[in-house]
Amino acid sequence: MHLTGIDLLFWAGSFLGHIVLLSVLLIRRRTREFPIFTTLISANIVRTIVLFLIQHYGTKADYFYTYWSLAILDVLLQLGVVYEMTSRIFRPLGAWASDIKRSLLVWIAGSIALAAGLTWLASPPTRLWIQTAMIRGSFFSAALLSELFVGMIVLSVTAGLPWKTHVARISQGLGIYSLSSVLIEVGRTYFSLKRETRAYDELSHARIAVYLVCLVFWIIMLWREPPQPREMTEQMRRQLLELQRSVGHQLQSLRSRRE
Amino acid sequence: MSARTVYFLAAVAVFLVSLIAVALYYYRRSRQTSKKSWEQLLGRLTFIDRDSVARIALDYADESGQRRTDDAASELEPAQISKLIGGLKGLEILERNSAVLIDLAFYVQQWHPEAVVLAEDLRLTAREIEWHVERLRGAAKTGNLETSFASYAQPAIAKYYLMTQRVLALYERGELPMLPDLQQAI
Repeated sequence: MHLTGIDLLFWAGSFLGHIVLLSVLLIRRRTREFPIFTTLISANIVRTIVLFLIQHYGTKADYFYTYWSLAILDVLLQLGVVYEMTSRIFRPLGAWASDIKRSLLVWIAGSIALAAGLTWLASPPTRLWIQTAMIRGSFFSAALLSELFVGMIVLSVTAGLPWKTHVARISQGLGIYSLSSVLIEVGRTYFSLKRETRAYDELSHARIAVYLVCLVFWIIMLWREPPQPREMTEQMRRQLLELQRSVGHQLQSLRSRRE
Repeated sequence: MSARTVYFLAAVAVFLVSLIAVALYYYRRSRQTSKKSWEQLLGRLTFIDRDSVARIALDYADESGQRRTDDAASELEPAQISKLIGGLKGLEILERNSAVLIDLAFYVQQWHPEAVVLAEDLRLTAREIEWHVERLRGAAKTGNLETSFASYAQPAIAKYYLMTQRVLALYERGELPMLPDLQQAI
Protein backbone atom coordinates (compact mmCIF):
# COMPACT_ATOMS: atom_id res chain seq x y z
CA MET A 1 0.00 0.00 0.00
CA HIS A 2 1.46 3.34 -1.02
CA LEU A 3 1.37 6.16 1.52
CA THR A 4 1.42 9.78 0.36
CA GLY A 5 3.05 12.66 2.21
CA ILE A 6 -0.25 13.77 3.68
CA ASP A 7 -0.99 10.21 4.88
CA LEU A 8 2.30 10.18 6.77
CA LEU A 9 1.67 13.65 8.15
CA PHE A 10 -1.72 12.60 9.52
CA TRP A 11 -0.27 9.42 11.00
CA ALA A 12 2.49 11.35 12.73
CA GLY A 13 0.08 14.09 13.87
CA SER A 14 -2.40 11.59 15.25
CA PHE A 15 0.32 9.60 17.05
CA LEU A 16 1.88 12.70 18.56
CA GLY A 17 -1.51 14.18 19.52
CA HIS A 18 -2.53 11.01 21.35
CA ILE A 19 0.81 10.82 23.17
CA VAL A 20 0.45 14.45 24.34
CA LEU A 21 -3.18 13.90 25.39
CA LEU A 22 -2.31 10.75 27.33
CA SER A 23 0.49 12.67 29.05
CA VAL A 24 -1.96 15.43 29.98
CA LEU A 25 -4.40 12.87 31.41
CA LEU A 26 -1.60 11.33 33.48
CA ILE A 27 0.10 14.56 34.60
CA ARG A 28 -3.19 16.25 35.55
CA ARG A 29 -4.44 13.02 37.19
CA ARG A 30 -7.58 12.77 35.08
CA THR A 31 -7.17 9.03 34.44
CA ARG A 32 -9.07 8.00 37.56
CA GLU A 33 -11.95 10.30 36.68
CA PHE A 34 -12.11 9.15 33.03
CA PRO A 35 -10.77 5.58 32.80
CA ILE A 36 -12.66 4.65 29.61
CA PHE A 37 -11.64 7.85 27.84
CA THR A 38 -8.02 7.15 28.86
CA THR A 39 -8.36 3.61 27.47
CA LEU A 40 -9.68 5.02 24.18
CA ILE A 41 -6.70 7.34 23.84
CA SER A 42 -4.24 4.56 24.79
CA ALA A 43 -5.90 2.16 22.32
CA ASN A 44 -5.49 4.75 19.57
CA ILE A 45 -1.75 4.97 20.28
CA VAL A 46 -1.44 1.18 20.10
CA ARG A 47 -3.56 1.16 16.93
CA THR A 48 -1.31 3.69 15.19
CA ILE A 49 1.82 1.69 16.05
CA VAL A 50 0.31 -1.68 15.05
CA LEU A 51 -1.06 -0.40 11.75
CA PHE A 52 2.23 1.32 10.93
CA LEU A 53 4.17 -1.90 11.52
CA ILE A 54 1.69 -4.02 9.53
CA GLN A 55 1.76 -1.51 6.71
CA HIS A 56 5.53 -1.92 6.52
CA TYR A 57 5.95 -5.63 7.21
CA GLY A 58 2.54 -7.28 6.68
CA THR A 59 0.36 -8.12 3.70
CA LYS A 60 -2.54 -6.10 2.35
CA ALA A 61 -4.98 -8.63 3.82
CA ASP A 62 -3.31 -8.42 7.26
CA TYR A 63 -3.67 -4.65 7.14
CA PHE A 64 -7.32 -4.80 6.06
CA TYR A 65 -8.45 -7.20 8.79
CA THR A 66 -6.39 -5.51 11.52
CA TYR A 67 -7.65 -2.08 10.49
CA TRP A 68 -11.30 -3.06 10.65
CA SER A 69 -10.97 -5.13 13.82
CA LEU A 70 -9.37 -2.15 15.54
CA ALA A 71 -12.01 0.17 14.07
CA ILE A 72 -14.71 -1.95 15.74
CA LEU A 73 -12.79 -1.74 19.02
CA ASP A 74 -12.58 2.04 18.55
CA VAL A 75 -16.36 2.34 18.11
CA LEU A 76 -16.96 0.15 21.18
CA LEU A 77 -14.63 2.34 23.23
CA GLN A 78 -16.36 5.49 21.95
CA LEU A 79 -19.66 4.01 23.12
CA GLY A 80 -17.91 3.32 26.41
CA VAL A 81 -16.96 7.00 26.62
CA VAL A 82 -20.62 7.92 26.01
CA TYR A 83 -21.49 5.66 28.95
CA GLU A 84 -18.77 7.24 31.07
CA MET A 85 -19.96 10.79 30.35
CA THR A 86 -23.62 9.80 30.82
CA SER A 87 -22.87 8.26 34.19
CA ARG A 88 -21.00 11.40 35.28
CA ILE A 89 -24.02 13.56 34.43
CA PHE A 90 -26.97 11.38 35.36
CA ARG A 91 -25.62 9.82 38.58
CA PRO A 92 -25.11 12.90 40.75
CA LEU A 93 -25.35 10.85 43.95
CA GLY A 94 -23.70 7.67 42.67
CA ALA A 95 -26.92 6.01 41.44
CA TRP A 96 -28.85 6.72 38.26
CA ALA A 97 -31.30 9.57 38.84
CA SER A 98 -34.74 7.97 39.10
CA ASP A 99 -36.45 10.54 36.85
CA ILE A 100 -34.06 9.95 33.98
CA LYS A 101 -33.79 6.15 33.62
CA ARG A 102 -36.82 5.66 31.40
CA SER A 103 -36.03 8.65 29.15
CA LEU A 104 -32.46 7.39 28.73
CA LEU A 105 -33.59 3.93 27.67
CA VAL A 106 -36.13 5.40 25.24
CA TRP A 107 -33.46 7.68 23.80
CA ILE A 108 -30.95 4.84 23.35
CA ALA A 109 -33.54 2.57 21.69
CA GLY A 110 -34.77 5.42 19.46
CA SER A 111 -31.20 6.35 18.48
CA ILE A 112 -30.35 2.77 17.48
CA ALA A 113 -33.58 2.47 15.47
CA LEU A 114 -33.05 5.79 13.66
CA ALA A 115 -29.39 5.11 12.90
CA ALA A 116 -30.33 1.63 11.64
CA GLY A 117 -33.09 3.08 9.45
CA LEU A 118 -30.78 5.64 7.86
CA THR A 119 -28.08 2.99 7.36
CA TRP A 120 -30.59 0.72 5.67
CA LEU A 121 -31.41 3.54 3.22
CA ALA A 122 -27.73 3.94 2.27
CA SER A 123 -26.77 2.03 -0.86
CA PRO A 124 -23.10 2.73 -1.59
CA PRO A 125 -21.97 1.62 -5.05
CA THR A 126 -19.18 -0.85 -4.32
CA ARG A 127 -17.59 -3.89 -5.93
CA LEU A 128 -17.48 -6.15 -2.87
CA TRP A 129 -20.07 -6.79 -0.13
CA ILE A 130 -17.41 -6.21 2.51
CA GLN A 131 -16.89 -2.65 1.23
CA THR A 132 -20.63 -2.02 1.60
CA ALA A 133 -20.50 -3.41 5.14
CA MET A 134 -17.51 -1.18 5.98
CA ILE A 135 -19.15 1.99 4.67
CA ARG A 136 -22.51 1.22 6.25
CA GLY A 137 -20.86 0.29 9.56
CA SER A 138 -18.95 3.57 9.70
CA PHE A 139 -22.08 5.55 8.88
CA PHE A 140 -24.14 3.69 11.51
CA SER A 141 -21.61 4.32 14.29
CA ALA A 142 -21.26 8.03 13.39
CA ALA A 143 -25.05 8.54 13.30
CA LEU A 144 -25.58 6.62 16.56
CA LEU A 145 -22.87 8.50 18.46
CA SER A 146 -24.20 11.87 17.25
CA GLU A 147 -27.71 11.03 18.41
CA LEU A 148 -26.47 9.82 21.79
CA PHE A 149 -24.50 13.02 22.40
CA VAL A 150 -27.38 15.28 21.39
CA GLY A 151 -29.63 13.15 23.62
CA MET A 152 -27.29 13.72 26.55
CA ILE A 153 -27.59 17.48 26.07
CA VAL A 154 -31.40 17.36 25.79
CA LEU A 155 -31.93 15.11 28.80
CA SER A 156 -29.51 16.95 31.05
CA VAL A 157 -31.08 20.34 30.29
CA THR A 158 -34.64 19.00 30.68
CA ALA A 159 -33.82 17.31 33.96
CA GLY A 160 -31.74 20.23 35.26
CA LEU A 161 -28.52 18.27 35.69
CA PRO A 162 -25.32 20.23 34.99
CA TRP A 163 -22.20 18.99 33.20
CA LYS A 164 -18.90 19.23 35.02
CA THR A 165 -16.32 21.19 32.99
CA HIS A 166 -14.19 18.27 31.75
CA VAL A 167 -17.19 16.06 31.07
CA ALA A 168 -18.62 18.86 28.92
CA ARG A 169 -15.34 19.33 27.01
CA ILE A 170 -14.80 15.63 26.28
CA SER A 171 -18.43 15.31 25.18
CA GLN A 172 -18.29 18.43 23.00
CA GLY A 173 -15.18 17.13 21.23
CA LEU A 174 -16.59 13.68 20.61
CA GLY A 175 -20.03 15.10 19.72
CA ILE A 176 -18.63 17.50 17.11
CA TYR A 177 -16.41 14.76 15.70
CA SER A 178 -19.42 12.40 15.42
CA LEU A 179 -21.59 15.03 13.71
CA SER A 180 -18.79 15.85 11.24
CA SER A 181 -18.30 12.13 10.67
CA VAL A 182 -21.93 11.73 9.65
CA LEU A 183 -21.41 14.34 6.96
CA ILE A 184 -18.13 12.76 5.84
CA GLU A 185 -19.67 9.26 5.83
CA VAL A 186 -22.51 10.52 3.65
CA GLY A 187 -19.89 11.71 1.17
CA ARG A 188 -18.07 8.39 1.36
CA THR A 189 -21.35 6.54 0.85
CA TYR A 190 -22.17 8.69 -2.17
CA PHE A 191 -18.77 8.55 -3.89
CA SER A 192 -17.93 5.13 -2.59
CA LEU A 193 -15.30 2.73 -3.97
CA LYS A 194 -16.65 1.62 -7.30
CA ARG A 195 -14.67 3.45 -9.95
CA GLU A 196 -11.83 5.15 -8.16
CA THR A 197 -10.89 5.86 -4.57
CA ARG A 198 -9.74 9.48 -4.74
CA ALA A 199 -12.86 11.12 -3.30
CA TYR A 200 -13.08 8.37 -0.67
CA ASP A 201 -9.47 9.03 0.37
CA GLU A 202 -9.96 12.81 0.47
CA LEU A 203 -12.96 12.37 2.75
CA SER A 204 -10.95 10.03 4.97
CA HIS A 205 -8.35 12.78 5.27
CA ALA A 206 -11.07 15.27 6.17
CA ARG A 207 -12.27 12.94 8.94
CA ILE A 208 -8.76 12.61 10.37
CA ALA A 209 -8.27 16.40 10.16
CA VAL A 210 -11.45 16.99 12.21
CA TYR A 211 -10.27 14.40 14.73
CA LEU A 212 -6.90 16.14 15.04
CA VAL A 213 -8.67 19.41 15.82
CA CYS A 214 -10.64 17.59 18.53
CA LEU A 215 -7.40 16.17 19.93
CA VAL A 216 -5.91 19.65 20.23
CA PHE A 217 -9.14 20.87 21.88
CA TRP A 218 -9.01 18.04 24.45
CA ILE A 219 -5.32 18.63 25.15
CA ILE A 220 -5.95 22.32 25.96
CA MET A 221 -9.19 21.79 27.87
CA LEU A 222 -8.02 18.84 29.94
CA TRP A 223 -4.80 20.63 30.82
CA ARG A 224 -6.78 23.50 32.32
CA GLU A 225 -8.22 23.12 35.79
CA PRO A 226 -12.03 23.43 36.16
CA PRO A 227 -13.40 26.62 37.76
CA GLN A 228 -13.33 26.55 41.54
CA PRO A 229 -16.67 25.85 43.28
CA ARG A 230 -18.25 28.94 44.82
CA GLU A 231 -18.71 29.33 48.52
CA MET A 232 -22.28 28.80 49.64
CA THR A 233 -23.48 31.51 51.99
CA GLU A 234 -25.41 30.65 55.11
CA GLN A 235 -28.37 32.61 53.78
CA MET A 236 -28.40 30.60 50.56
CA ARG A 237 -28.17 27.31 52.42
CA ARG A 238 -31.15 28.34 54.56
CA GLN A 239 -33.16 29.33 51.50
CA LEU A 240 -32.38 26.03 49.85
CA LEU A 241 -33.42 24.06 52.93
CA GLU A 242 -36.67 26.02 53.20
CA LEU A 243 -37.51 25.40 49.56
CA GLN A 244 -36.64 21.74 49.74
CA ARG A 245 -38.71 21.19 52.85
CA SER A 246 -41.79 22.88 51.42
CA VAL A 247 -41.54 21.16 48.06
CA GLY A 248 -41.01 17.83 49.80
CA HIS A 249 -44.25 18.28 51.72
CA GLN A 250 -45.99 19.20 48.52
CA LEU A 251 -44.84 16.05 46.79
CA GLN A 252 -45.74 13.83 49.72
CA SER A 253 -49.21 15.21 49.56
CA LEU A 254 -49.47 14.62 45.83
CA ARG A 255 -48.25 11.06 46.24
CA SER A 256 -50.65 10.26 49.06
CA ARG A 257 -53.52 11.73 47.11
CA ARG A 258 -52.73 9.52 44.12
CA GLU A 259 -52.66 6.40 46.28
CA MET B 1 -28.54 8.85 -9.12
CA SER B 2 -31.00 6.18 -7.90
CA ALA B 3 -34.24 7.06 -6.11
CA ARG B 4 -32.95 5.31 -2.99
CA THR B 5 -29.85 7.50 -2.92
CA VAL B 6 -32.04 10.60 -3.23
CA TYR B 7 -34.15 9.43 -0.26
CA PHE B 8 -31.00 8.67 1.69
CA LEU B 9 -29.49 12.10 1.06
CA ALA B 10 -32.77 13.86 1.89
CA ALA B 11 -33.24 11.83 5.09
CA VAL B 12 -29.67 12.51 6.24
CA ALA B 13 -30.04 16.23 5.50
CA VAL B 14 -33.20 16.40 7.66
CA PHE B 15 -31.51 14.27 10.31
CA LEU B 16 -28.39 16.45 10.51
CA VAL B 17 -30.24 19.78 10.47
CA SER B 18 -32.64 18.58 13.19
CA LEU B 19 -29.85 17.19 15.33
CA ILE B 20 -27.78 20.38 15.11
CA ALA B 21 -30.83 22.60 15.74
CA VAL B 22 -31.87 20.58 18.81
CA ALA B 23 -28.29 20.54 20.16
CA LEU B 24 -27.89 24.30 19.71
CA TYR B 25 -31.29 25.08 21.24
CA TYR B 26 -30.66 23.03 24.40
CA TYR B 27 -27.02 24.11 24.66
CA ARG B 28 -28.13 27.74 24.55
CA ARG B 29 -30.81 27.03 27.17
CA SER B 30 -28.28 25.50 29.52
CA ARG B 31 -25.91 28.46 29.01
CA GLN B 32 -28.72 30.88 29.87
CA THR B 33 -29.46 29.02 33.11
CA SER B 34 -25.75 28.88 33.98
CA LYS B 35 -25.40 32.66 33.60
CA LYS B 36 -28.21 33.51 36.05
CA SER B 37 -27.48 34.29 39.68
CA TRP B 38 -29.18 32.64 42.64
CA GLU B 39 -31.20 35.81 43.33
CA GLN B 40 -32.30 36.10 39.71
CA LEU B 41 -33.55 32.53 39.77
CA LEU B 42 -35.40 32.97 43.08
CA GLY B 43 -36.96 36.12 41.67
CA ARG B 44 -38.51 34.09 38.85
CA LEU B 45 -40.84 32.26 41.22
CA THR B 46 -44.38 33.42 40.48
CA PHE B 47 -47.04 33.69 43.10
CA ILE B 48 -50.63 32.72 42.50
CA ASP B 49 -53.48 34.76 44.09
CA ARG B 50 -52.68 34.51 47.79
CA ASP B 51 -56.23 34.45 49.18
CA SER B 52 -57.49 31.86 46.74
CA VAL B 53 -54.48 29.66 47.30
CA ALA B 54 -54.90 29.97 51.06
CA ARG B 55 -58.57 29.05 50.83
CA ILE B 56 -57.91 25.96 48.73
CA ALA B 57 -54.91 24.94 50.78
CA LEU B 58 -56.50 25.34 54.20
CA ASP B 59 -59.55 23.43 53.05
CA TYR B 60 -57.28 20.46 52.53
CA ALA B 61 -54.38 20.81 55.00
CA ASP B 62 -53.50 22.70 58.15
CA GLU B 63 -50.80 25.38 58.41
CA SER B 64 -48.09 22.77 58.97
CA GLY B 65 -49.02 20.96 55.75
CA GLN B 66 -50.66 17.96 57.46
CA ARG B 67 -53.84 16.74 55.80
CA ARG B 68 -56.98 17.73 57.70
CA THR B 69 -59.20 14.92 58.93
CA ASP B 70 -61.92 16.94 60.69
CA ASP B 71 -65.51 17.12 59.44
CA ALA B 72 -65.06 20.54 57.85
CA ALA B 73 -62.16 19.37 55.67
CA SER B 74 -62.35 19.10 51.86
CA GLU B 75 -65.60 21.03 51.52
CA LEU B 76 -64.63 22.80 48.30
CA GLU B 77 -66.04 21.33 45.11
CA PRO B 78 -63.68 20.64 42.19
CA ALA B 79 -65.38 23.38 40.15
CA GLN B 80 -64.78 25.91 42.95
CA ILE B 81 -61.11 24.88 43.23
CA SER B 82 -60.68 25.21 39.49
CA LYS B 83 -62.22 28.68 39.50
CA LEU B 84 -60.22 29.86 42.49
CA ILE B 85 -56.88 28.74 41.12
CA GLY B 86 -57.55 30.21 37.72
CA GLY B 87 -58.03 26.95 35.85
CA LEU B 88 -55.38 26.03 33.38
CA LYS B 89 -53.54 29.34 33.77
CA GLY B 90 -53.08 28.68 37.48
CA LEU B 91 -51.68 25.27 36.66
CA GLU B 92 -49.28 26.79 34.18
CA ILE B 93 -47.89 28.99 36.95
CA LEU B 94 -47.50 25.89 39.11
CA GLU B 95 -45.59 24.28 36.26
CA ARG B 96 -43.40 27.35 35.73
CA ASN B 97 -42.51 27.40 39.41
CA SER B 98 -41.42 23.78 39.21
CA ALA B 99 -39.15 24.72 36.30
CA VAL B 100 -37.62 27.49 38.42
CA LEU B 101 -36.96 25.02 41.23
CA ILE B 102 -35.21 22.71 38.76
CA ASP B 103 -33.06 25.65 37.63
CA LEU B 104 -32.24 26.43 41.27
CA ALA B 105 -31.15 22.82 41.79
CA PHE B 106 -29.07 23.05 38.59
CA TYR B 107 -27.37 26.17 39.90
CA VAL B 108 -26.52 24.58 43.24
CA GLN B 109 -25.21 21.36 41.67
CA GLN B 110 -23.07 23.38 39.27
CA TRP B 111 -21.50 25.80 41.71
CA HIS B 112 -21.86 24.28 45.15
CA PRO B 113 -20.98 20.57 44.96
CA GLU B 114 -20.97 20.34 48.75
CA ALA B 115 -24.77 20.77 48.69
CA VAL B 116 -25.37 18.24 45.90
CA VAL B 117 -27.50 15.92 48.09
CA LEU B 118 -29.88 18.71 49.01
CA ALA B 119 -30.02 20.06 45.47
CA GLU B 120 -30.69 16.62 44.02
CA ASP B 121 -33.52 16.15 46.50
CA LEU B 122 -35.03 19.47 45.47
CA ARG B 123 -34.59 18.68 41.77
CA LEU B 124 -36.23 15.25 42.02
CA THR B 125 -39.13 16.66 44.01
CA ALA B 126 -39.69 19.49 41.53
CA ARG B 127 -39.45 17.06 38.61
CA GLU B 128 -42.13 14.87 40.14
CA ILE B 129 -44.40 17.86 40.75
CA GLU B 130 -43.85 18.85 37.13
CA TRP B 131 -44.93 15.36 36.14
CA HIS B 132 -48.14 15.59 38.19
CA VAL B 133 -48.96 18.99 36.72
CA GLU B 134 -48.39 17.61 33.23
CA ARG B 135 -51.03 14.95 33.99
CA LEU B 136 -53.45 17.72 34.96
CA ARG B 137 -52.68 19.58 31.75
CA GLY B 138 -53.35 16.36 29.87
CA ALA B 139 -56.69 16.08 31.65
CA ALA B 140 -57.44 19.67 30.63
CA LYS B 141 -56.88 18.80 27.00
CA THR B 142 -59.36 15.93 27.18
CA GLY B 143 -61.92 18.07 29.03
CA ASN B 144 -61.51 16.23 32.36
CA LEU B 145 -59.77 19.02 34.23
CA GLU B 146 -62.43 19.56 36.88
CA THR B 147 -62.61 15.86 37.75
CA SER B 148 -58.84 15.66 37.96
CA PHE B 149 -58.70 18.77 40.13
CA ALA B 150 -60.34 16.76 42.90
CA SER B 151 -57.62 14.11 42.74
CA TYR B 152 -54.45 16.02 41.97
CA ALA B 153 -54.67 19.76 42.23
CA GLN B 154 -55.79 20.53 45.77
CA PRO B 155 -52.86 18.78 47.49
CA ALA B 156 -50.47 20.46 45.06
CA ILE B 157 -51.97 23.86 45.77
CA ALA B 158 -51.89 23.24 49.52
CA LYS B 159 -48.19 22.58 49.35
CA TYR B 160 -47.55 25.51 47.05
CA TYR B 161 -49.27 27.62 49.66
CA LEU B 162 -46.81 26.36 52.23
CA MET B 163 -43.91 26.98 49.89
CA THR B 164 -44.95 30.55 49.12
CA GLN B 165 -45.43 31.23 52.82
CA ARG B 166 -41.90 30.09 53.49
CA VAL B 167 -40.35 31.99 50.60
CA LEU B 168 -42.28 35.10 51.61
CA ALA B 169 -40.99 34.71 55.15
CA LEU B 170 -37.46 34.72 53.73
CA TYR B 171 -38.17 37.95 51.89
CA GLU B 172 -39.79 39.54 54.94
CA ARG B 173 -36.82 38.66 57.12
CA GLY B 174 -34.83 40.82 54.70
CA GLU B 175 -32.68 37.99 53.39
CA LEU B 176 -33.59 38.85 49.81
CA PRO B 177 -33.41 42.37 48.39
CA MET B 178 -36.49 42.27 46.12
CA LEU B 179 -39.20 42.63 48.78
CA PRO B 180 -41.07 45.63 47.24
CA ASP B 181 -41.35 43.90 43.84
CA LEU B 182 -42.48 40.70 45.46
CA GLN B 183 -45.13 42.39 47.58
CA GLN B 184 -46.50 43.99 44.43
CA ALA B 185 -46.51 40.68 42.63
CA ILE B 186 -48.52 38.89 45.29
